[in-house]
Amino acid sequence: MIYVVLAFLAVSLLLYVLLAGADFGAGIIELFSSKENQAINKKTVYQVMGPVWEANHIWIIILIVILWIAFPHYYNILVLALHIPLTLVLLGITLRGVAFVFRYYDAYKDSSQILYDWMFKTSSLVTPIFLGLTMGGVVSGDIINPSQMENHSFLEVYVHSWFNVFSILTGFFYAALCAFLASVFLIGEVDDTSKSMYMRKASIATIVVVSLGFITLAYGYFSGIAFVVDFIGNIWSVSAIIVSGILLFPLWKSIKSGRRIISRALAGMQIFFILFAATITHFPNILFTTNGSISIYEHPVPDSVMNVLGISLLIGGVLIIPGLIHLLTSFKLIKLLEK
Amino acid sequence: MENIDAARLQMAFTLIFHIVFACIGMVMPFFMVVSHKKWLNTRNPIYLTLTKSWQKGVAIFFVTGAVSGTALSFELGLLWPEFMKHAGPIIGMPFSLEGAAFFVEAVALGFYLYGWKKIPETFHWFTGIIVGISGVMSGILVVSANGWMNAPSGFDYINGEFLNIDPVKALFNPAWFTQALHMTLAAFTATGFAVAGIHAYQVYKKRNIELHKKAFKIAITFAAIAAILQPLSGDLSAKDIAERQPVKLAAMEAHYETKKGAPLYIGGIVDNETQEVKYKLEIPNALSFLAFGDFNAEVKGLNDFPKDEQPNVAMVHYAFQTMVGLGSLLMIAGMLFFVAKYKKKSWFNMPKFWLLFALLAPLGFVALEAGWIVTEVGRQPWIIHNIMKTKDAVTPMPGIIFSLYTYIAVYTILTIAVTWLMARQIKFLNSVKTNEA
Repeated sequence: MIYVVLAFLAVSLLLYVLLAGADFGAGIIELFSSKENQAINKKTVYQVMGPVWEANHIWIIILIVILWIAFPHYYNILVLALHIPLTLVLLGITLRGVAFVFRYYDAYKDSSQILYDWMFKTSSLVTPIFLGLTMGGVVSGDIINPSQMENHSFLEVYVHSWFNVFSILTGFFYAALCAFLASVFLIGEVDDTSKSMYMRKASIATIVVVSLGFITLAYGYFSGIAFVVDFIGNIWSVSAIIVSGILLFPLWKSIKSGRRIISRALAGMQIFFILFAATITHFPNILFTTNGSISIYEHPVPDSVMNVLGISLLIGGVLIIPGLIHLLTSFKLIKLLEK
Repeated sequence: MENIDAARLQMAFTLIFHIVFACIGMVMPFFMVVSHKKWLNTRNPIYLTLTKSWQKGVAIFFVTGAVSGTALSFELGLLWPEFMKHAGPIIGMPFSLEGAAFFVEAVALGFYLYGWKKIPETFHWFTGIIVGISGVMSGILVVSANGWMNAPSGFDYINGEFLNIDPVKALFNPAWFTQALHMTLAAFTATGFAVAGIHAYQVYKKRNIELHKKAFKIAITFAAIAAILQPLSGDLSAKDIAERQPVKLAAMEAHYETKKGAPLYIGGIVDNETQEVKYKLEIPNALSFLAFGDFNAEVKGLNDFPKDEQPNVAMVHYAFQTMVGLGSLLMIAGMLFFVAKYKKKSWFNMPKFWLLFALLAPLGFVALEAGWIVTEVGRQPWIIHNIMKTKDAVTPMPGIIFSLYTYIAVYTILTIAVTWLMARQIKFLNSVKTNEA
């Protein structure tokens, strides 16, 4: 049953990184756009993401709940060492969600929109940066194991674990990845004039993602971060990253020929390969502390807990996934009919 | 301020907000679908306008409820890591099921909000029903997790270790039913009176009277039924607490000495030093009857428990009095509505009638928050009743006070913004002709 739970954990992580990432990215694109393009983006985001964006963000709740039920020991280390960035992620999620609703549901469209838009755009950038920072913190190897916390200072335990160059680079890398995903997802949703705008954004985002990815790995390698050094030495990780890079070519081809389902599938696969590369090298050791990595199988919960969770997840999946797919497809189909 | 006090305040503060948002997001869909059904049946455009404006309310409160709920799911671990490390796996079931229910709700809400004229009418209406039902399911599940903290079950606690974990038993802990019933009724009462009160005020101000009267009737019908049923559920809760958490009951009643035929105190000022309650109204033998159904039953007093295992008596007592007092008031108001509806239709033309209900608008939520103070403060010093103390569960990270300040700032702004937004919705509603919306 632990494998069912792990599969759900992996799927939730993938979908959150992918779908919420695209949501964040839409805000980032808006932040770096001219006034005119901002208006286009605002409208597009409402049409495309409106019906599904709530569902997109629930994956993180599923992720957290699985972690605390099935891997409480892991969860405990994360909430202690990464308390500060997680709190900032939370504030970002809160402000962003609220701004999203405000800007589309306020009865009057007046100057208050400026404030909502500003809130939406900035929190769209800040949240994925801190999210990426947190992910970087998990693997950067600066987390201090709770059992040894007493011998360390506040800064060492609660700040250095995530406020280090590698984690910060990871944060920016993830934010760029979000912008990349959003522009690829949105290209298929707009008319030809706006299309070129998103194409331009997509190409800029691609360059930024690839260079930041390269810089992050290079920095990690030369400063001897165990996670990266082993990563670069592992045939599976390296191949996955190369595949993810190569996929850029068919992706561009399908974008240009307007095949949006294929474009999305390719972009999704790229994220899958990046996450695969990040976890495969050390799996099941995903968390890196100053004293080496910790296996996710350490301190297992009783079978009774794992079984009940696995069954709940399977039932939930059966209930939700058809509805979700129906939601996604029915609104896409409707859009086509309207045209 | 000590770290633990800051953590407790932050938790209390975020919960107080979340409860309001979540209750409205959970109950308003029911008003919305009733109005929607009336539109489908009568094709009276007023109902369509009303449904659409309530739908905006649902969307706004669903999101604020969802983000403040996400915040709480993190905070549980961030503030109480030691609690979550042990309790997480045991009470995981209500939370994972709640995640599923919440997901169903989000999917259904996606259909509902964006489905006008795009999906078949009846199916569209039905997705609104699913929003409501899954919202109530989420509420019940989360309350069940809280029930477990009051009535820990589904494990054996041996030498400081939690063994033989049975998550299903933990889900159906002895407190889950009474708490969930009480909370669901409270949510309907509080939201119903709040929504009805807002519309009553608009009627009182003679704005768009026809629409606001219809809105009022839908909301108050739910609220009145719930408020009239609530005392029965309260009685179940009291008897349950008397048995499982006698110290909480004693604090609720500021009852210091163990006694047979214990009196019930109404109101009064608690002096914890002298163990006296001044200026109270005393009903002989009533506490024994309410707690055990027997006028001469023995009710344990606070002095039977060690000092360091007692909650803050004054706070629990005042909160309890507030809850019961306001609850009774709302029950009477609910009865008044039914009298007006079936016997005295002329009351609906009296401005005083509308003013009365406008003034009652916030009281349901005051009672509801007071009730949560009773159950949460009344459980102290335990985070898991008789197993783990709150002070042993708190995060070792210093400086939680700064996190508290940030939350206070953000949530205060959020509240102001949501209130402002609602005011604008109503203003907008009054400014449009009904067939335009």
